[in-house]
Amino acid sequence: MTAVLRAHDIHSFYGKSHILHGVSLEVNEGEIVAVLGRNGAGKTTTVRSLMGLTPPRGGRCEILGHDTTHWPPHRIAGLGVGYVPEGRKIFGGLTVLENLRVPQARPGPWDVERVFRLFPRLAERRSQPGRQLSGGEQEMLSIARPLLLNPKLMLLDEPSQGLAPLIVREVMQVVRQMREEGLAVLLIEQNAPLSLSIADRAYILDDGKVVYSGKAAELAKDTELVNKLAGAGSKAASSRTAGEPPAR
Amino acid sequence: MQLLLFNAFNGLIQGVFYALMALGLALILSLNSVINMAHGGFLVIGAYLAYALSPYLGFWGALVAGPILAAAIGLAVERLLIRPIYKRTDPLYSLLLTFGLALIVEDMTRTIWGPQGLPLEIPDVINSPVSEVYFFVTGYRLFVIVITTAAVVGLYLLLRYTLLGIRIRAGINDLETTAALGVNIYRLRALNFGFGCLFAGLSGVLAAGVLGLTPPMGNSLIMPSFVAIIIGGVGSLFGAVVGGLIIGLAAGITTTYYPAASEAVIYLMMLIVLVVRPRGLFGEEGLFE
Repeated sequence: MTAVLRAHDIHSFYGKSHILHGVSLEVNEGEIVAVLGRNGAGKTTTVRSLMGLTPPRGGRCEILGHDTTHWPPHRIAGLGVGYVPEGRKIFGGLTVLENLRVPQARPGPWDVERVFRLFPRLAERRSQPGRQLSGGEQEMLSIARPLLLNPKLMLLDEPSQGLAPLIVREVMQVVRQMREEGLAVLLIEQNAPLSLSIADRAYILDDGKVVYSGKAAELAKDTELVNKLAGAGSKAASSRTAGEPPAR
Repeated sequence: MQLLLFNAFNGLIQGVFYALMALGLALILSLNSVINMAHGGFLVIGAYLAYALSPYLGFWGALVAGPILAAAIGLAVERLLIRPIYKRTDPLYSLLLTFGLALIVEDMTRTIWGPQGLPLEIPDVINSPVSEVYFFVTGYRLFVIVITTAAVVGLYLLLRYTLLGIRIRAGINDLETTAALGVNIYRLRALNFGFGCLFAGLSGVLAAGVLGLTPPMGNSLIMPSFVAIIIGGVGSLFGAVVGGLIIGLAAGITTTYYPAASEAVIYLMMLIVLVVRPRGLFGEEGLFE
């Protein structure tokens, strides 16, 4: 298997506070990798560092054979890295169709028509401003946008956050479909049972460090370990799906 | 009655210049996060370069060349001076930098062209009054209104329908996410700065035909343009245009009744807006409240 993403000993900071203390992880071709952890464990900072939004001050990121440690976000995206940000980050004043025209499209199977076939709700609402969409529709749009980059690697930051269970299932179905098309997926989730059920491998972050890595199926069996290492998150998962507003 | 119309029309023309300036300022403020104190400098550059080139290119050539050269110089300034300070989130850096630039441009024009006012020659075809009763409605002033309307509509169509325009709006909304979708935001911001300077330059050439050229002309137009943005609402391009027209008209009308207050009335309006509706007429909620 070839590694699509290889992060080695990443150190990241917000201002002066040291958030990531040497995170290392790998994602291989055609694989879904889950990253679990409590609130504040450094999950979002990890994806932001990989995407170049919070550039690491130490360590090394390698994506699709390039050293991307100090690259700006648009160059990383240009390699074929799709990013679904936490909180969806829809362009509220832009229509659905305009939201889909923002990405710097790369050639490949994904175009606006195919995205509309995958998410018929978005096709119906193509002329509506993004801020008028429901939470679920915004999540669909947030996943649809980077698909137009025809990515080889997708980074998803809490796609289930604040969504009804039915819609969460739909989102996970789409993530599975990405793997079937040969994409590598890095899935950040607080909802451990959910992400472990579709992931191949998993990492647990705590306090800016990797405290566990292994097969997702094995971790899924060890509920005690999950609760101990990513506890608050997996407990909150059941109440969160009931519609708690997304934490920003 | 005719005096009122005369002053109101003068005010409207003045307001058109404010609106063009405010539009460029608002574009640059929204996407580049720069309070461009040098915007008046780009107006002066556009005006004086048009003046210098008009013997060779004629008025029409200068009308096109002035704004384009102002935009080109704007692109160079953005690349060399503004881009390095984007990562400093404190707006003070860009404020001081552009303030310094404004002073440099004003003094350079004074050194090159002298402190005295200079006229910009306007072709007779568009410079005669339209009617004898309304002698103040010259063809040139109508021309200013037409060109400005065309420029504003052009910008609207660009932002609404082109890929570049959609990305500029996306960037104004959320720059980070725009970059993460593969858009080169350095280029996007550079082009946007260039557009802002293009509008400043156009405003300069048009204003030179009405007010003449003087080195401080840019700085006398820039303060009311900031007021226009605050009245129209920070973050709203439409508001910047409306704000510019409103304060121009208000100043003109005040001249009829109490000339001494014609400038103060602009700031009085800003005061009222800030107290009653801090977001401005069309601004987004929560910027100042």
